Amino acid sequence: MLFFSEKSLTAWLNHLMLDRTVLAPVRGTNDLVYFQSIASSEAVSVGSQNAALSPKDWFFPRSEAIMSFVTKDGKTQVIPATMEKDAVIFGVRPCDARAISLIDRPFRAEPVDALYQERRNRTTLVGIACVTVCQECFCTSMGSGPFDAKALDIMLTPVDSGFAVEVVTDKGKRLLEKAIVQDRELTLPKPPEVKTVPSAGVTEAMRRIFNNVYWDRVADRCIHCNICSFVCPCCYCFDVRDYKGKDKIERVRSWESCESALFTRAAGGHNPRPSKGARMRQRFAHKLLYFPDIFGELKCTGCGRCVKNCPVNIDIREIIHDVQKLARE
Amino acid sequence: MSQPIRDKARELLQTGKVNCVIGYERATDGITARPLFVYDVRDVDRLIFDRTCVHNLSRYLRDRRDKMTAIVAKPCDARAINMLLNEQQLDRQKLFIIGVVCQGVNERCWGQTDTRQQVRCQWCRQHVPPVYDFLVGEKPADEPPPAGFPDIEEFEKKSPAERRAFWEEQYRACIRCNACRHSCPGCYCQECFAENLDPAWVGIRIAPAESQIWNLVRAFHLSGRCVDCGACEQACPVNIPLMLLNRKLQKDGIKFFGFEPGLSAEAVPPFATFKKDESPGGEG
Amino acid sequence: MVTAYQPRIIGFLCNWCSYAGADLAGTSRISYPGNIRIIRVPCSARVDPLFIVKAFQYGADGVLVAGCHPGDCHYSEGNYHTRRRLALLRSFLDFTGIERERVRLEWVSASEGRRWSQVVTDFTAQVAALGPRVK
Repeated sequence: MLFFSEKSLTAWLNHLMLDRTVLAPVRGTNDLVYFQSIASSEAVSVGSQNAALSPKDWFFPRSEAIMSFVTKDGKTQVIPATMEKDAVIFGVRPCDARAISLIDRPFRAEPVDALYQERRNRTTLVGIACVTVCQECFCTSMGSGPFDAKALDIMLTPVDSGFAVEVVTDKGKRLLEKAIVQDRELTLPKPPEVKTVPSAGVTEAMRRIFNNVYWDRVADRCIHCNICSFVCPCCYCFDVRDYKGKDKIERVRSWESCESALFTRAAGGHNPRPSKGARMRQRFAHKLLYFPDIFGELKCTGCGRCVKNCPVNIDIREIIHDVQKLARE
Repeated sequence: MSQPIRDKARELLQTGKVNCVIGYERATDGITARPLFVYDVRDVDRLIFDRTCVHNLSRYLRDRRDKMTAIVAKPCDARAINMLLNEQQLDRQKLFIIGVVCQGVNERCWGQTDTRQQVRCQWCRQHVPPVYDFLVGEKPADEPPPAGFPDIEEFEKKSPAERRAFWEEQYRACIRCNACRHSCPGCYCQECFAENLDPAWVGIRIAPAESQIWNLVRAFHLSGRCVDCGACEQACPVNIPLMLLNRKLQKDGIKFFGFEPGLSAEAVPPFATFKKDESPGGEG
Repeated sequence: MVTAYQPRIIGFLCNWCSYAGADLAGTSRISYPGNIRIIRVPCSARVDPLFIVKAFQYGADGVLVAGCHPGDCHYSEGNYHTRRRLALLRSFLDFTGIERERVRLEWVSASEGRRWSQVVTDFTAQVAALGPRVK
């Protein structure tokens, strides 16, 4: 089995930083861990918890000018956003990696989001297996698992004084070209037990209870902030507006959420989802009904961030339990 | 504390005095709490009250303004009700306030047992809600001390450059989820200034310059109205110390205008009045 | 050649008193530093604290709000409200690292052309001494 010592892993990361953007979990503002661009491997903080925000921020930024319009000498130029260097995201957990492969389904389908596509093609994902599990995790019920390497290019599993290295894709193999990896006899740790959620058949259950008053009851306490959609690694609602700057106009795309009251309000004031219950149902229907109908997979990877961050404890695991129970009645 | 609340809720629902009781129940981690809307008397035993009940439930009252509603209210939550009554946002006749004597609540962190008391509780001005229809808990023998803001005074010792750097880091952390706005009983504008299209005061860009406008102006729009309930800071997913901004405005509100929000529904708020001869804050 | 830093100042002047006073300074040929850019408002009370924060966001180093003397407001009470609002705003902005000296509230009547130029000269020097708001 391939093995990275701590020292050779550090050397490899330092080497990658020379000509690539390297993102890794870093302890940041207010003591939270975020995926940030690093200039030194010492900044990396891979603890037992996942980062507060997922690495979707790299492929689908919280806010960016997707293009600018500059007028000079009577001619208007359209300047799209560009990606400066190739990139590596280090320390990606299986749930977050799978989430990126879920966002791929709409974003890389025709018509392709060119900016997203470029970033995906030029970014290599280096994952770390989870040897401990958080209270809120339920990845095994959502098509993933603590050691799931499917959506990664390289998977590192913590072992004694280093990491076992699994090369998953050719892209990953190319990235390891200058790395010093040894061949060793290694005993991999056992994957930890993850709590389960009755996700099998939830799509049909959602279809059956679509008009149930249950959604209004859950929505009673929802405060319609954007937290769940923002912390979710596979949510991708956005808004686009043009803003006039000093000598250019920028088309800005930012994260939005189907939960916010004005999300579906159209010019003229009509809102097809005016009620709290309708918006609540939309969130879970998108994840558990519409997305699976279109793409064949549930749009949730069990990372648990929404569970941890929702100010009023709207818990998708509880929703799934309730939905299954109501569908049987 | 929980049992008297359950009994009262049962009585109110059975007699048809209210058609909903808004209180708290245990959350899915078995540790923290979450809001609960009780419509059916069979659900009253889910109601709890303890130091984990941090949410300000009065933010749900405006949407139910025409319906008879009972609400479990801590002193800070009751201050919010007074503030909303003062602004004509609620009908007192439609409210049944189950006031709770409170000695402080803890920080809310899902899944964690070991959380300390919220900073604001240490200097809280009331242990007994200033308005209620039914009181749960023993009235304490002593009056709490007058308003104190050692946290603000400590921050004010920093140099301007230090303060600037501190807040610029926080503006960068803000992801503009608006949870602060949505958890606040005072933020009820149908269209928030941040949503204005022309001029686009804030806009949709999530970046430090815009986040600065968002946080500063939201806090300022609550000056003379913020009742120090802490809901915003508890909701914030990136742990921005929002209460520093709000409590600074509270401290100045008392110092410049002698006004503490939420003590009564009749008191005229500071920006709705003036004195012909005054020099608030002194010169310079 | 090194040029001294020139602060960018925004002034919100009420139409009835301070704008007229500034106009008088102009017609009397009393000069004052040209760093200030004036925005005319009907009353100093029209100045939403939002405008002041936005002015700083757009690059202002100082903001001056000028209105009628208390008791002389064209709309009777506007300036009393301005006085309260600005007092709180200056203290609040100072707390967030925008020094209170960068925001000033002055009463300038329509006949105070000379006073207006004095105020602007003073304020410009004060803001210049603080340096640019965004370093």
